[in-house]
Amino acid sequence: MDNVITAIRVVPLEHYFFLSFLLFSIGMAGALLRRNIIIVIMCLELMLNSVNLLLVALSAFHGDPGGQVMVFFIMLVAAAEVTVGLAILVQLKRNADGVDINQLNRLKW
Amino acid sequence: MSALIVISVLAVAVLYLGIFSNKNVLAPVTILGLVAATALLASGWYIPHDLLHGMLDFDRTATAFSMGMAVVAMLVFAFGPDYYARKQWHVAEQYALMLFSLVGGLLLASWTNLLMLFLGIEVLSIPLYVLAGGKKRSLRSSEASLKYFLLGSFATAFLLMGITLLYGLTGSFDMGVLGTFMAAQAAPNMMLNFGLFFVLAGMAFKVGAVPLHFWKPDVYQGAPTLVTTFMATVVLMAAIVGLHRFIDVTGMPQSLAATMALLVLATLLVGNLLALRQTNFKRLMAYSSVSHSGFLLLALLANADTVGSTLLYYTFTYALATVGLFILFTIAKRANNGAEHLGIFKGLFAANPVMALCALALLLSLAGIPLTAGFVAKYQVFLLAIGAGWLKVMAFGVLMALVGIYYYVMVARELFLPAEQPVTFTVAPLNGLVITLCTIAVLALGLWPAWLI
Repeated sequence: MDNVITAIRVVPLEHYFFLSFLLFSIGMAGALLRRNIIIVIMCLELMLNSVNLLLVALSAFHGDPGGQVMVFFIMLVAAAEVTVGLAILVQLKRNADGVDINQLNRLKW
Repeated sequence: MSALIVISVLAVAVLYLGIFSNKNVLAPVTILGLVAATALLASGWYIPHDLLHGMLDFDRTATAFSMGMAVVAMLVFAFGPDYYARKQWHVAEQYALMLFSLVGGLLLASWTNLLMLFLGIEVLSIPLYVLAGGKKRSLRSSEASLKYFLLGSFATAFLLMGITLLYGLTGSFDMGVLGTFMAAQAAPNMMLNFGLFFVLAGMAFKVGAVPLHFWKPDVYQGAPTLVTTFMATVVLMAAIVGLHRFIDVTGMPQSLAATMALLVLATLLVGNLLALRQTNFKRLMAYSSVSHSGFLLLALLANADTVGSTLLYYTFTYALATVGLFILFTIAKRANNGAEHLGIFKGLFAANPVMALCALALLLSLAGIPLTAGFVAKYQVFLLAIGAGWLKVMAFGVLMALVGIYYYVMVARELFLPAEQPVTFTVAPLNGLVITLCTIAVLALGLWPAWLI
């Protein structure tokens, strides 16, 4: 475990921040711009995983295992969330036709 | 803590009951279980509970809010037997999912660790994503569910980013450590500001503050009415108390206060103005809920010592009025073959004066007319805002409360108009009882607010 933490610490913390924010922004842009719902769900996962990356790095730099425990909880909840999301998507596919986000226009204003 | 366990076990038990017995016993069992949970909470009122290595703390605020949520959930479940009587759904799952969601609400009421905040939000939300899509054959319901899910996950990612940044600063998820850190912090710190801002954004989504309110009208309209009732009441209470616990520790630093003030102004303005042009009752209630979130955020902005009791009084009386009105809405909707526009209330006074007067009282309470609980609640919020020196924001709030009166009275007017064609309103005895209870409670709390404050 210790050599993993030393290995993480070799890279300066700013780089982890930079990579994580980049991934978060890519995920956010994708979630806002893409029209295919499956891709949108993938982008949401990307946002969560960018947070995971940052948490592991911060946990190593603080020498506190709490951050890594949090990562497990996030992965667990993300799995539960995506399960529900795909189930909802299947149900929508049955009622509508296809998985394009522009179909979601029955409810507005 | 014992209440948390009781409700979780109850939810699993309800799932099993759904397999082995008929659906008539589900609601009584659920309500009895919630009574037991409330009693357990009440018995531990003055005992400090430090749980899971200090991750949960059932202090008085938490206990009071938990009891409030359990009581409101009981009223919602009492509406269940009649609502589900003519539906072909698997009813046990609906009850169980709502109970799971309530567990998340209890976590949000008592968290002292950012990990528990995250888990509470998710345990609260994930069952709701499913529940919103409860009408399996309805495209609107699926659409509401998917929109809620996508936007909810998006907000969760922001919340997590905020939590991570705060963790990066302090090296701990504990709120006590964060509080000490912030007290020692003199110069403005960009990472701290971003962390606070992201957490606030994630929570503001759940509360439904503008500009993160877009899900609310769509989901309220698309979801089954019983689920909408649950969302408008218990979930709002949970989200508000979760945010309150956060702000209680962090206080109101300058950067956070500016964002909060903007949120309050935007929420009050958009919520009330868009409510004016709604013709669908569920959407009207959604925008009304947005505007009430604005008042609740105003109380949070003031952040005085008494804000907890004000928030409890406000959300509890709002929840009572909302439960009653949604039940009345279902009654009127059935009488009009499933229509949802405001005109469905026409002829209610002629057909059933008692119910019409109850509806009037509940609407006036939401509008904040004196002698009802809604007035006392708004008055308390404005007092807090004055005490904290937010005079201009407070004045804007008063103005928007006046705008709000218009659309509630618009609905109330329909009650007394004659119906265009003859309609029959059937009020099931249990529904009538719940509506009457809500009305009496709203009026009584309006006249003697000291019971709760």
